[in-house]
Amino acid sequence: MNSTASNTPANPAQVAQIAPIARSNQQRFMRAFFRNRIAVLGVFIVLTMVICAVFAPVIAPHPPNQINPVDRLKPPSLQYPLGTDEFGRDIFSRLLYGAQISLVIAFVAQGVAISIGLTLGLVSGWYGGWLDDVIMRITDAFFAIPGLMFLIVWVSILGANPISIFVALGLIGWPSDARMMRAQVLSLKEREYVLAARAMGASAARIMLRHLLPNAVAPSLVLASLGIAGAILAESSLSFIGLGVQIPNPSWGTMISTGRNFTSNAWWYAIFPGLTIMITVLGFNFIGDGLRDALDPSQYR
Amino acid sequence: MTKYIARRVLQMIPTLLIIFTVIFVLRYLMPGDPLKATLGEEYNRLDPATIARLEEELGINRPFLVQYFDHLGRMLRLDLGRSFIERQPVIDIIGYRLPRTLQLMLGGIAVGLLIGIPAGVISALRQYSWLDHTLMVIALIGLSMPVFWQGLMAQLLLTQSTTGIKIFPVAGFGDGDPWYMVLPSLVLGTNLSAVVARITRTSMLEVKGQDYLKTARAKGLTNRVVLFRHHMRNAMLPIVTIVGLQFGGIMGGALVTETIFNWPGLGRVIVTAIQRLDTPVILGVLTMGALTFMVANLITDLIYALIDPRIRYN
Repeated sequence: MNSTASNTPANPAQVAQIAPIARSNQQRFMRAFFRNRIAVLGVFIVLTMVICAVFAPVIAPHPPNQINPVDRLKPPSLQYPLGTDEFGRDIFSRLLYGAQISLVIAFVAQGVAISIGLTLGLVSGWYGGWLDDVIMRITDAFFAIPGLMFLIVWVSILGANPISIFVALGLIGWPSDARMMRAQVLSLKEREYVLAARAMGASAARIMLRHLLPNAVAPSLVLASLGIAGAILAESSLSFIGLGVQIPNPSWGTMISTGRNFTSNAWWYAIFPGLTIMITVLGFNFIGDGLRDALDPSQYR
Repeated sequence: MTKYIARRVLQMIPTLLIIFTVIFVLRYLMPGDPLKATLGEEYNRLDPATIARLEEELGINRPFLVQYFDHLGRMLRLDLGRSFIERQPVIDIIGYRLPRTLQLMLGGIAVGLLIGIPAGVISALRQYSWLDHTLMVIALIGLSMPVFWQGLMAQLLLTQSTTGIKIFPVAGFGDGDPWYMVLPSLVLGTNLSAVVARITRTSMLEVKGQDYLKTARAKGLTNRVVLFRHHMRNAMLPIVTIVGLQFGGIMGGALVTETIFNWPGLGRVIVTAIQRLDTPVILGVLTMGALTFMVANLITDLIYALIDPRIRYN
């Protein structure tokens, strides 16, 4: 990495001077990430959405479910920034509350996916043998199942309550995490520090948690941000088909689904929820790509 | 090669059996009474005797295992039964709708490759230029839009007289008129083209530094020959892989696209069938979907051998 140090003639004093300037990998990683303007834009978008979700009750100009028969399907105006729906409810306010649902579902689902994926990947890579074979075949099978099909069947059996949707989206998402973790473990398993830990009698669980898992934090972040993006899209598709979470506050997908019936006389109804989904997902994708580029060691120059 | 294909086809049989069993169990686990779901309101007006007769007729009053082996036996004889709702043979439903779904999926894949590969190649050849950055941001935007919303926007902008632009028909199959297929294919192919563009770029950049490209250039081949014969051809393998991996996603996308464009494919049937517990349709269509998926995987593997002569199956 630090090629200048090895090329310069050995001068202990100089080396000592240079040494403190050399940054740790973590600092390099952060620098590379924040130098990427698109990644920073992604962070900005996601933070904005999170703030919108958390402070929805403060920001929203109208209660999300307040019905105003007089103001049905009004185009965007000062009073209703993004127009109203067929019951005269403010679309902007509903989108803010929708952010709560979409983000919570996506974050929790990705949490489920990462937990399953990392655990199975660790076990598979560390133990190898038949266990590895079995876990990898299951991973392949899950990879092959068309996600939306799986969701539809799952929801029709277990219902559309939040817990069932969290688990279903998590079950779609874990295979890539498992494969990544397994590859990490396979490459780290023979490193000296792992061998040393083993020689010192550390248990398998300790090695996995203390030595292997921390090395997978950065690549997991990449997969997690892309996974959250995927979960938001999957949840919106499910809501669009009419199988989304059944709760009083609308999710973004449900709004597009209803707005679809009014495209000819209320274009704003279906457009704004879709734009919101697109911008949010784009934010997570920007972050994921930025993290991936920052992880690539060829960037540290 | 023939031997390899034969073995792969044979391997599909146990896999299909497992898939059929899983689907059957899942269908059994779905809450609700199939007869009630089929008849809806009408169910409440029927007297118990009629209900018993109908249940007998549909065969849904028998024990689980009897039903399972009955369905399995008929499936093996390629008799998929009749839809509870439409009273139409399931094989006819599949025979009419599967080709239309496949047609749409092929349209989507064609769009994905025709847009994705050139975009990725240009990006890689002009790495770090503004064109590269722009194309890659567009690709990410393409990846970030829900398919159904893209469909709605396409309909809103390109098919309505309200915007003054009426290029495409709003929806429908148009009795096979290819013009009706363009917009749904574009919508279905957008996501794929974004994925393909990104993979093509990475793959092209990986091949870029290889010695055989320098050799090819050194021996005086034109840029075009080097690009097409040496550079792109060697970069194609990951693209085939990704299209194969995306096949499930394309199926899901087709389902949603069909709903929006009123396309007479299998996707629209399956959602209704699941919601109304139409057992023969669920079993037939899902098993057939799985089979299509496996055949697509086999074709992907065969295309590998076609592109890369180093790969030999035996």
